[in-house]
Amino acid sequence: MNMKLIKILAYPSLVLAVIALTVGCRKSEDTQKANSPASSPPSQKQFVIGMSQCNLGEPWRVQMNADIAAAAAKHPELKVIFKDAQNDTLQQRAQVEEFAGSKVDLIIISPKEAQPLTEPVAEAMDAGIPVIVLDRRLLGGKYTCFIGANNEKIGKAAGEWIVKALGGKGNVVELMGLQTSTPGQDRHKGFLEGIAGSNIKVIFQADMQWLEPRARDEMESALARYDNINLVYAHNDDGAHGAYLAAKAAGRDKQMKFVGIDALPQEGIAYVKQGILDATFQYPTGGAEAIDTALKILHGQAVPKEIVLGTRLFDAQNVAQGGEDLK
Amino acid sequence: MKKNFTSPAGRAFLALVLVFIIGSIFNADGAFFKLGTHRDTLREMSVYGILACGMTMVIISGGIDLSVGSILALAAVCSAKMAIHWGYSGWLVLPACLIIGGLCGAVSGFLTARLQIQPFIATLAMMVLARGLSKYASGGMKVSTAIANPDGTYRYVNVPPFFQDIDHRILGGSFSVVTLIFIACVLLGWLLMSKHRVGRYLYAIGGNEESSRLSGVPVVGTKIFAYAMSGMFAAMAGICQAAQEQQGDPEAGVGYELIAIAMVVIGGTSLMGGRGGMGLTLLGVLTIGYLDKILSINAVPEAGRLVLTGIIIVIAVLTQRRRRT
Amino acid sequence: MTGICKDFGRTTVLKDVQLEVRSGEVHVLAGENGAGKSTLIKILAGIHADFQGSIHINGLEVRPKSPLDANHLGVAVIHQELSLIDSLSVADNIFLGRTPTRHGFVLDSVQQKLAAQWVQQLGLDIDTRRHVGEFTIAVRQLIEIAKALSQNAKIIVMDEPTSALNAPEVERLFALIQSLKARGCGIVYITHKMEEIARIADRITVLRDGKWIGMAPASDLPIPKLIQWMIGREVTEPAPERGCVEDQPQRVDVFGSAPLPRSGSGSAGLPVGPGGRQRLKVENFGVFPRGFSKKPAVENISFSVRSGEILGIAGLQGSGASELFHGLFGDFGSRTRGEIYLDETRVSLRSPQKAIEAGVALLTNDRKATGLVLSLSIVANATLAGLRELSPMGWRQPGRELTAAKEMASAMNLRAASMDMEVGFLSGGNQQKVAIAKWLQIRPRVLLLDEPTRGIDIGAKQEIYQRMREWAGQGIAILLITSEMPELLTLSDRILVMHRGRCTAEFSRQEAAPEKILAAAMGTAMTNRQN
Repeated sequence: MNMKLIKILAYPSLVLAVIALTVGCRKSEDTQKANSPASSPPSQKQFVIGMSQCNLGEPWRVQMNADIAAAAAKHPELKVIFKDAQNDTLQQRAQVEEFAGSKVDLIIISPKEAQPLTEPVAEAMDAGIPVIVLDRRLLGGKYTCFIGANNEKIGKAAGEWIVKALGGKGNVVELMGLQTSTPGQDRHKGFLEGIAGSNIKVIFQADMQWLEPRARDEMESALARYDNINLVYAHNDDGAHGAYLAAKAAGRDKQMKFVGIDALPQEGIAYVKQGILDATFQYPTGGAEAIDTALKILHGQAVPKEIVLGTRLFDAQNVAQGGEDLK
Repeated sequence: MKKNFTSPAGRAFLALVLVFIIGSIFNADGAFFKLGTHRDTLREMSVYGILACGMTMVIISGGIDLSVGSILALAAVCSAKMAIHWGYSGWLVLPACLIIGGLCGAVSGFLTARLQIQPFIATLAMMVLARGLSKYASGGMKVSTAIANPDGTYRYVNVPPFFQDIDHRILGGSFSVVTLIFIACVLLGWLLMSKHRVGRYLYAIGGNEESSRLSGVPVVGTKIFAYAMSGMFAAMAGICQAAQEQQGDPEAGVGYELIAIAMVVIGGTSLMGGRGGMGLTLLGVLTIGYLDKILSINAVPEAGRLVLTGIIIVIAVLTQRRRRT
Repeated sequence: MTGICKDFGRTTVLKDVQLEVRSGEVHVLAGENGAGKSTLIKILAGIHADFQGSIHINGLEVRPKSPLDANHLGVAVIHQELSLIDSLSVADNIFLGRTPTRHGFVLDSVQQKLAAQWVQQLGLDIDTRRHVGEFTIAVRQLIEIAKALSQNAKIIVMDEPTSALNAPEVERLFALIQSLKARGCGIVYITHKMEEIARIADRITVLRDGKWIGMAPASDLPIPKLIQWMIGREVTEPAPERGCVEDQPQRVDVFGSAPLPRSGSGSAGLPVGPGGRQRLKVENFGVFPRGFSKKPAVENISFSVRSGEILGIAGLQGSGASELFHGLFGDFGSRTRGEIYLDETRVSLRSPQKAIEAGVALLTNDRKATGLVLSLSIVANATLAGLRELSPMGWRQPGRELTAAKEMASAMNLRAASMDMEVGFLSGGNQQKVAIAKWLQIRPRVLLLDEPTRGIDIGAKQEIYQRMREWAGQGIAILLITSEMPELLTLSDRILVMHRGRCTAEFSRQEAAPEKILAAAMGTAMTNRQN
């Protein structure tokens, strides 16, 4: 075996493999057929919807795609093509352009960033393709409809629930999501609005960056410093879970309540069912609403420029019934 | 060994003492002095510390391992799958995950030692590969006690005893099992580096690979060993992580390799290879771990933490420099 | 330079040393390794800014704070350890730190032209755009000299400049030194080679153990007296004749008993002296460093060495002698052809590990780069090759290691403050002793020595010669590469001459003469042996 030959082959092969791995994963177009092909009646017009998701690393986004797919399955005339931008803005730009080029009937996009994607979407609109924007906003107004939840509203709802649950006063530890991101800032702002005017005191605040291990570490610091904690408000369920584990290890989990946000079925809702969290607030994906709105657009009906989704509260009382809608 | 303050150990010790002094001054209403705080700090640094043990061996051999964070995630996912979903006992899960981590490391080692690919590139490739494998094995979601049924509902299982035993306190609640595991890893690393022939070989290779080779040192085999050990330590860290989260997160460990490297470097092990040791790394882990805790109990805002940590790392490294004679 | 003192921590390296150089003279700075010559030069060169004493250049007191400072003062140093950067071109290296620029952009063509001029003055015909790393050590040394000369310095320090040069190149250098003298430069010349001192020195300053011993015009200091000043004791001849070995008092046999054969062939009681049985036989040996399709470094060499025999290998740069050794040692893996027989058994030495197991040891010609691990201790280096034996089942036994290292150290007469000190801090001679000690540990049957006394003071050289005679006496077959003719002639029982990878001549001790060897080495005479 010629060592030199191996060396000559190995290095570029390795580099190619790395590139292939990353690029190949990008190019993986998950063509989920949202309808059962056998039963599509030929008389109805087929609509093709292109959906560009900024990444599928977050379970919440996996849920969003699942919601879209589930909603579209009920309408056999819809075919949804899913593309994953793997958190790469340039990739997402390319996907929007590809959809526009292949003249889909409608585009749904959950953008990574506002500024770089505003123009491609505008161009798609100019080409006559309606665009629905989910979750994160674009700049200006050149899109058909924006559907998103309002993190400030959710934060406020959480704050109000906390005021009620604690009877208007108590010591709260706030474990925040990445404060350089809008959701983190909004959930913090809304929370402060929700508790305004009450005797709720935020005694300890830390940025746990949405990560459970960090939330646990910060909670341990809070536990070390404060003997009297009534409630922990974490910006996501992972954080709340981490705080719970820290408190449990300290034997103090019964002394306090735990509140999170997101309410994914296998995380937040599960935690409420298991008694780990006292409440969680759904951060709706908007997937189902997107399909509803898409249908309206495709059938020529008018739709509002903006649809703000409400949240659902899941707590011990209502979790079995599937939570409670909050406007 | 002379404990005067010009030796590497002395300087690392000095850095730690400084951190302790800072902690005593900024003690957050006495929180710094509580036993529980120290127990928690030791627990919090343990996962990083376990990574740092393997990283020390690799760095001393003259290389670097960027893949440990991803291998941690892979092991976390695999151990969670095995222990939570399939209900295997710890006696099976532990060796299986260690082997997985060791294999990943051995592949990196083979790429760099036999095929002469630079360690930075080889372990970077493994970092991407292992992360991909984690996502593949977990289906992109966390592997937790909430198991999906085919109809979309969930059933809940208990946290397996294996995980409970790890995320557990002993000695009347004053010491975490995870910390114990970390200390065991430090001891194992120390034994290998200071008491075993392979350690001497690693120092020699890091000091001068060509001379070592021409002195009959089995360079390729020894290097593969170092990377395999790094992978195994990373797997152990992954199991600890999964146990402490009660779930296997395929996104775990992102950026952990840099923290591990920082801990090794602050301890005094040279990135050029050939110098350093486990004891120094232990000091580095403690220094960074305690620094982090002090910032945490004082609720220092995130921006301030990053700046302060960066400054202190620079100061620590400056004091570590060997005086050029 | 007067009253120069320098300490490193608690060790005093120089005490009250003085040196005076006139313009237009070659002033030799002599002394054993560790005498302090390098340190004194480094102070002059601005590398050690921290010292006591004073330096006057042209009557003005100066204190160079950095090498660049020293350059501005008119001092240029050609170091023993070349200070060239392999990945840069020749021209870049010559003008490093003084790169001609305009508005920050490098004037490449200007640089090339000037560099080419300087390089040609030394008789080198090379393309100054090529990277320094592509050239051999000899050429690199000349580039280093060109660099120093291009700085138009008035004081030029040369530290062992001829260690890697062949005879014609040395002549060119000496001619150049004469022209520099004529221009009024003062040259400080450090060397261990007595012939050179005798040839070019105008005045000589001798240091010993960091102290100034004396300074005298060369005419007042014949070689024996010079040596006496250097080592403080009388030495009769630089390299005693072979026949004296029986007159020496019985030395402790380092190996306890005769070297043990490895492969269980059970040949016991090897006779002493060159009349022993055949130890090493090499047939049609070829080394192909860049693969079998490229030109080999060694081609079709056959020879044999008996146990107890010293075979000297002579050759100029590029002769392939070092490659022969490395090939025999397994360094080129499977890129070799031919057969090797050890004690009449065929062996396949495909890696250094296998070679060591078979009892073959290689002392490389560059102890710092390929012989030692400078960051490790004396004990660690000395036990590196034999670590497997000293650590059964893998666990190290520091006690055994220390004992073994101390044994080897005393066998080599190695003097060091502590066995735990880093080898990087030792003098050249001591470093070489550690490198050799490492090989004693494995009880070799064949010892390949590549320039074992390069860059070593005369006292240490003597010791190494003694040891070589002892080892030969104990039945080891020794192959010796050396570029010093007297060493080659007095130590070797037979001499093999190589030229461009082939063996051009073989001489017995009686037949050997410097002119014949040199001729064969240059490929001109093909008298004794055609291969």
